[in-house]
Amino acid sequence: MTTGLVRLYRGLLLLYPAEFRDEYGRELCLVLLDRCREQRSRLAVLLVWIHAALGVLTEAPKEHYHVMLQDLRHALRVMRNDAPVTAAAIAILALGIGSTTAVFTLVNGILVRPLPYPDTDRLVAVDEHERESDSPGNVAFPNYQDLRARTRLLEDLGVYSEGLRTIRGEGDAETVPGAQISDGVFPILGVKPILGRAFTREEDVPNGPKVVVIGEELWKRRYAGDPGILGRTVEIGPRRFTVIGVMPASFHFPERAELWLPLQLSPEQSTRADYFLSAIGRLRPGVSAQQATAELASLMKQINRENPKTDVGNSARAVPIRQSITGQYRPAVITLLAAVGFLLLIACANITNLLLIKASVRAREMAVRTALGASRPRLIRQLITESALFGLAGGLAGIALAYAGVPALLSLIPIELPRWMTFTIDARVLGFALAVSLLTSLIFGVAPAFGASRVELTAALKEGGRTGTAGARRNLLRNSLVVAEVALSLTLLAGAGLMVRSFLALRHQPLGFTTEKILTLDLAWPGDLYPQGPKARALEANIQHELASLPGATNIAFASGVPLASVWGRSLTVEGFPLLPLKQAPGIFHTIVSPNYFRALGIPLVEGRDFTDADWDNPMVTIVDESLAKRYWPNGSALGKRVRYGPPENNEPWHTIVGVAGKVRSENLPGRNRWNVYIPFDAQHLPRAMILRTSQDPMSLAQAVRGRIVALDRNIAVSQIHSLQQVIDRAAWRERFFTVLFTVFSSLALLLAAVGLYGVLSYAVSLRTHEIGIRMALGASARQVQAMVMRQGLLLTGLGLTCGIVAALALTRLMTTQLYHTSPSDPETFIAVTVILMCVSVAAAFIPARRATQVEPVVALREE
Amino acid sequence: MAARPTLSRDTFHILVALADSDRHGYSIMQDVADRTSGQVKLSPSTLYSAIKRLLETGWIEELEERPDPKHDDERRRYYRITKSGRHAAIEEAERLEELLADARASGLVPKRS
Repeated sequence: MTTGLVRLYRGLLLLYPAEFRDEYGRELCLVLLDRCREQRSRLAVLLVWIHAALGVLTEAPKEHYHVMLQDLRHALRVMRNDAPVTAAAIAILALGIGSTTAVFTLVNGILVRPLPYPDTDRLVAVDEHERESDSPGNVAFPNYQDLRARTRLLEDLGVYSEGLRTIRGEGDAETVPGAQISDGVFPILGVKPILGRAFTREEDVPNGPKVVVIGEELWKRRYAGDPGILGRTVEIGPRRFTVIGVMPASFHFPERAELWLPLQLSPEQSTRADYFLSAIGRLRPGVSAQQATAELASLMKQINRENPKTDVGNSARAVPIRQSITGQYRPAVITLLAAVGFLLLIACANITNLLLIKASVRAREMAVRTALGASRPRLIRQLITESALFGLAGGLAGIALAYAGVPALLSLIPIELPRWMTFTIDARVLGFALAVSLLTSLIFGVAPAFGASRVELTAALKEGGRTGTAGARRNLLRNSLVVAEVALSLTLLAGAGLMVRSFLALRHQPLGFTTEKILTLDLAWPGDLYPQGPKARALEANIQHELASLPGATNIAFASGVPLASVWGRSLTVEGFPLLPLKQAPGIFHTIVSPNYFRALGIPLVEGRDFTDADWDNPMVTIVDESLAKRYWPNGSALGKRVRYGPPENNEPWHTIVGVAGKVRSENLPGRNRWNVYIPFDAQHLPRAMILRTSQDPMSLAQAVRGRIVALDRNIAVSQIHSLQQVIDRAAWRERFFTVLFTVFSSLALLLAAVGLYGVLSYAVSLRTHEIGIRMALGASARQVQAMVMRQGLLLTGLGLTCGIVAALALTRLMTTQLYHTSPSDPETFIAVTVILMCVSVAAAFIPARRATQVEPVVALREE
Repeated sequence: MAARPTLSRDTFHILVALADSDRHGYSIMQDVADRTSGQVKLSPSTLYSAIKRLLETGWIEELEERPDPKHDDERRRYYRITKSGRHAAIEEAERLEELLADARASGLVPKRS
């Protein structure tokens, strides 16, 4: 029994640090054996053994702790002794980890952090889409009703339509984001009001009660948190609604909505051919989105069979909610994460090199310690402790950098993001940063640790620590690392270059209108106070008059929307050309404009005339853009021809073309452009936007413009006051954001690669001082010595560039969908980044090469 | 040197055990147990952790030669108290004595007749 117990005890000793075990393991077993022999009964032996085993369990961690303390003290001493290298390593790490952490903050906010709804995994966005198409489409109301009634895999289905609403009464009118929702939406999202109640099924019926649920922030902001808010009547748009509930401040759906009205649609108001609703559903427990999609698709087939008239071949599907709302950001965010990962790798390569150089300098220290009895695992453990310490220090500095960097990063986002997207450095981000720090310290610490601990005693001691025998192998590793750094930076630079080029292509495309010194704003006035017709027209005239007298305002126009901010797509039918079914009819963008619109925006009129005030009474006229005119009347004039807008079979009235305007881009920047057509304001349409041309910085007029309009009537809501330049920045913010980040990261990569090359060459020169001394003593000229060092540098760079170009060509192809009018293998970009990297490398190699020429042969030889 | 490390109970017992003769680990353990009538029972782990610490501070040393050829087991390591170790143990004993004297003076502990 005793032998077995002692063997077991010996196994337990594995808990000790190897050093302690080697030193005392045998003694411990001997003592235990003696103690056991002394005992008379088996039970006593067992008790002695348990006592000893407990001793191991309590003492082994303490021994580990002692070793760690020792290593840490040693590591701190090493770091202090070589402060410049330490500082450089920590700075490089901080850059790598800081950038990675900042980007992970984005990833966390968009892709990882749970959405603020319970059981998010069971939420799905439901859409109707063309059978062969991937792009999501909206749902027709009657189809929603049928799907909701028939689905067995969804717990419930709800629909909503978002839009801005104007609140009036008690203070200035205010435009807030809101939504009309079906009764199912709140229960599906699983969020309950903090006050009052949500809509009931009975309320969501045509002509149902006029009730509203408002958000907590709106309640506090506009109604001062009135405890008697329930039952209070508020004016929204032209109608009065009774508040029945307040949703918690954390709840925003969709996007930034602050008030919710019941949908109250009837099938008559919304046919199977009108797709304007978004849908959301909750899966029954255990049901997957794929299963729900299969069910919805077969239900849609049924519905289409039952309604052959409106069967346009649509199918339906369920997409997990996160995928649906983050899908548009995913590719860019992942590209960015990959980019910053490259940067981190470059930082690691840099530090590995730094530590390798240090390791060879420390070969003598290692040799001495080995001679004094330190085992190899012991040395490795100590070196890994050193790099972990570096990692942690770099990680802390990196987190500090991320704290500073994230706000700077967010300041690049000019728009109000959906409320679920919050970017804060939370526990998950901190955990990530810590994990990255330790992981990187492992990556850059392992090679030097194993290299340095492989000490060949006599050689290292004899050589006086200048070069180890492992020198050749280590040189190879160092050089490969520099090649990898250059290759990685080229890849990053190529990615950044392509994004810059794509962004420039996007931003410098001809827009067809001036963007400077233009102020734009959205207007909403209550239809009950200013019904369409003369009253509205009088108000328009008043506003125009008020603003015309503002110093600096040179041109004022009204429109249905601001270009690149809101457009209205419709279909086109041209008189004398075949009538096409809705699906094949060409799409147009349709803007209602006041006279002066073209002048204010600097859009040239190629032919014909501008609208006049007289058109208000005789609105069946239109201005089309030049490309439309060229397409239909390539050889003649478009003037006098007639066109019709809207679904072809609807027999909308004909508009006569009175003018042809220059081509403009009015939808979002990267999207495909459609033809633009314009019609004049009439008794049917109210202006929703204003465009002011100014003679000074447009934003300097913003306050005055708002003030004058509100002074006319505080029931008019003025929102979205931006310069047209800002509108464009907003339209292209995502492209700009990712381009800026990519450029920053690749510049850092370039810097690190240069530092890496410089470090390796400097070290090589210092190793070769003796050789260079001999060469110079034998008559080599400074120029020859310089060329020798430069050659080494350029060889490494050349290898790196070659590998980098191959890697970049393979990787940038993955960016194709994110590039606008730019080929992922754009030769100019590739040439440019190669040249940049080459110049930087030459500069980085030049300093050590220069230093090599300053070697004094006598001094170098005397050192021996 | 930095502030003198305070002596833990185990350390003190080991120094006392080594005060009259050089001993190997098991012998230290037995001596401590005998002197305290079995009240202080060191486990092998606590014993050797303490020995390691004592070796590091230089209060004990490991012997190269075996002191007691009769009972010698060549596999065992023997330890001897050093001058500084003896000094530390004496200081500790004096400290304990003073403490006891204080306790007696205050009447907490009955005076020895």
